[in-house]
Amino acid sequence: MKRRSITKVLVTIFALGIGLCLQGHPGYGMPPVKRSVLANGLVLLVSEEHSLPLVTIELLIDAGSRRDPAGKEGLAYLTAQGLLLGTKKHSEVEINEKLDYMGASLAVSVGRDYTSLRLRVLKKDLTEGLELLLETITEPSFPEEKFHREVRETEAAIQSSEERPEVVAEKAFRKKLFLDSPYSHPVEGTRESLGRIKREDVVKFHSAYYSPNISIFTIVGDVTVKEVEDSIVPKLSAWHHASVAAEHFSTTFAGGPETVEIDRDISQANIIIGHQGIRRENPDFYALTVMNYILGGGGFGSRLVDEIRVKRGLAYSVASFFGAGKYQGSFQIVLQTKNASAREAISLAIEQMKLMQRELVSKQELQRAKKYLTGSFPLRLDTQRELVDFLSRMEYYGLGLNYPERYRSLINSVGREEVLRVARDYLHPDEYILAVVANLKEANMAEPGGSAGE
Amino acid sequence: MRSRRRGKKTKNLWLVLCFLLGSYLSPPPSEAGLREKVSEHVLSNGLKVILLENHKAPVVTFQVWYRVGSRNEQWGKTGLSHMLEHMMFKGTKKYGPEEFSRIVQENGGDENAFTSTDYTAYFENLSADRIQVSLDLESDRMHDLNLQEDDFQTERMVVMEERRLRTEDNPQAYLMEQLEATAFQLQPYHWPTVGWMENIKNLTLADLKSYYHTYYNPANAFLVVVGDFSQKKLLADIEKTYGSLPPGVKPDQEKAIDPPQHGERRIFIKRQAELPFILMGYHVPNLRNGDSYVLEVIATILAGGRSSRFAREFIQKKQLVLDADAENSLLSKDPGLFLISAEPLPGKATAEVEKAIDREIRRLQTEPVGTQELRKAKNLLEASFVSSQDSLFFQAMLLARYEIVQDWRAVDEYPPSIGKVTPQDILRVAKQYLIPENRTVAVLVPLTTEGKKTRGSEFSLESKTVR
Repeated sequence: MKRRSITKVLVTIFALGIGLCLQGHPGYGMPPVKRSVLANGLVLLVSEEHSLPLVTIELLIDAGSRRDPAGKEGLAYLTAQGLLLGTKKHSEVEINEKLDYMGASLAVSVGRDYTSLRLRVLKKDLTEGLELLLETITEPSFPEEKFHREVRETEAAIQSSEERPEVVAEKAFRKKLFLDSPYSHPVEGTRESLGRIKREDVVKFHSAYYSPNISIFTIVGDVTVKEVEDSIVPKLSAWHHASVAAEHFSTTFAGGPETVEIDRDISQANIIIGHQGIRRENPDFYALTVMNYILGGGGFGSRLVDEIRVKRGLAYSVASFFGAGKYQGSFQIVLQTKNASAREAISLAIEQMKLMQRELVSKQELQRAKKYLTGSFPLRLDTQRELVDFLSRMEYYGLGLNYPERYRSLINSVGREEVLRVARDYLHPDEYILAVVANLKEANMAEPGGSAGE
Repeated sequence: MRSRRRGKKTKNLWLVLCFLLGSYLSPPPSEAGLREKVSEHVLSNGLKVILLENHKAPVVTFQVWYRVGSRNEQWGKTGLSHMLEHMMFKGTKKYGPEEFSRIVQENGGDENAFTSTDYTAYFENLSADRIQVSLDLESDRMHDLNLQEDDFQTERMVVMEERRLRTEDNPQAYLMEQLEATAFQLQPYHWPTVGWMENIKNLTLADLKSYYHTYYNPANAFLVVVGDFSQKKLLADIEKTYGSLPPGVKPDQEKAIDPPQHGERRIFIKRQAELPFILMGYHVPNLRNGDSYVLEVIATILAGGRSSRFAREFIQKKQLVLDADAENSLLSKDPGLFLISAEPLPGKATAEVEKAIDREIRRLQTEPVGTQELRKAKNLLEASFVSSQDSLFFQAMLLARYEIVQDWRAVDEYPPSIGKVTPQDILRVAKQYLIPENRTVAVLVPLTTEGKKTRGSEFSLESKTVR
């Protein structure tokens, strides 16, 4: 199970776009949250939830793959995975034995913006679990031999993911779209770049970025604010901070239309149509959330699903999203259809983007989008895991503790004209990047003007 | 599964590989037990209602489970249960096609459905104050589905796309399908839940109508609702909406069981793939037999957590595999398979990996498991009990899955049954079930991906008009 982590990385990236589109609401259902900033700069969020004898912790560090130095793509990923290979006090085997004996789980995930460690532990084992978590963060030993094993495994996982067309399509799309950008490369790097990373690089990356002043510690579950203050804060305070160098981030996006086609002996064309997107802090985020819900983010009832799946039966899955990160991400429409329908499905998707720019959405569509987005909020927060995820990201993207209360009015204030405006400003149906992984002959992708489809 | 995401289907490799939560999907903190908290009622038309109040968040999960899955299908009509699941969203006399989803969304809710070998389930997750929406919509489509030819023609295409996505283009899922088709000769688990492509193509509207008529009725279904409500009030509302539905006839649920296997079966599948893959399936009993709990512990000793035998031996020490897993099928309605899977690292032969797996199985049969290691496995299982209770949805699903196999009350037997497992049980059970005579081995042989090429082109779709 462990090695499926590359899948999880990708899912995390997707969730960033989709997840943020789904949050919000009145504050109703939202348990109280206590926020504080420790002397070492660590942000601490605590929320009590006592229905089960269970505690969930997330430590989010602003050390995602965008920090990878050029040529050493995958360094953030290897560093994070390496935390579990041993510490100055415990070997890998000892750490794993301890965690399993407690029935605890400690999962590492790496995204483009941040890295996260999530600990789930029974209340009775909280102290020991927390100590292990902090030990892996502050005193990892990165044993040479195990580091090499980690590299080999990551290389193999990359190779294995090559047989998954949706992964191949996503990688090809990003590579084409992000010309010169820390968001371009796969989180886990490439087989070439991994070969250039040495243990010393990992040690250096760790000491440069694993620092409390760029981290968020969120704890949710069967624990009281007082317990946290009395016995957890002293431990967190002992974590020394480093001075993290200022970041220079820039992206150049490719203009379109441009197509990348990859031939595979498969029955479906895996298609991504997209272009540059937005930053999470863009004030149009909420209007775009509503617009995208109507276009393809809202599942059944969204236009893409209606046109491509419900009316024509061309796909099982079709969706659109803005992957809004700390910096400008991408907009994507993702779908799979039998090879022979590829061209028709692509045309339909692009036509829907254009329609979004041509006409006002109907009042009913707007109402439905708003009702769903504001009304579904409590559904997203009914587990400790979801609550921890939500709180950490709310902090990371600077949304403020009153975000749940603001969300409803942010969404409800969006009008039809504004939906039209953001569709015109942020959708670029004439400048798309198209990635297709398919049996190209069957998909008839080679000659433009071919007659596949109808 | 009707969702846009890659979902988990009971007989699906994705489950084997990534369904951490589900693979040990298990009961709650044992002290209280669910028996005292859950109430069960049976309406006069035969509909069973299972209710569990949980007030930690102002939400509910409303689930309708039908006792029908691919095990109820006939040869030649495979995939019918799943096809019907899709058609359940195509409207009734009262609501038009897709109106169901729209109404739920307008009420801020999520809805979906999933089909397995043993059941078809529909759910809505909603704010607690919107529960009436589920009652109205679900009770209506339990008896008044409006099956139309043109909707069916289109939706059948969608299902074929689903099969392409999940199985045809996924070598490991395809391997799993072939393993089951080889391991089960008599049991309906022989065919995949989604159905064989040739069968899906030939399903008819008449097939769906008679299937709906046979299996969708109050006597062959039950409700599970978990969340922020009052049992008394909700039960009255359920009585109001469901009570008047005509009672149905309980369909025959007895299915043939495969006779004992006499010798290992082995298949090789050649597909375009990057790495080989090995699957081993051993016939095992479900929770009706106490040995199944021993097998739960065995699966955890082999592959639970990062310190499991597979993780330590295969991944950390010998560096043989990218991943290896073991999964028991406790909650399978008919006897299922104990599955072991492994993806060898590049350059490692499948035979070498197989040998290593066999060595671990022999160890289980010959060396008693140490006290500490056994305790660790039990702790892992117990902790995932607790954490699986964190989600209302999974809590409901847990009760329902036990109800499908036997009785939701059996949930409470899980913790003590796991607690009772001894090193001697493990020796005995490993010797009884985990033997070559009782297994099927499926090996994925990757075909080299020659002819795989990338090219960039500037073709444009601008000139293409949409009908």
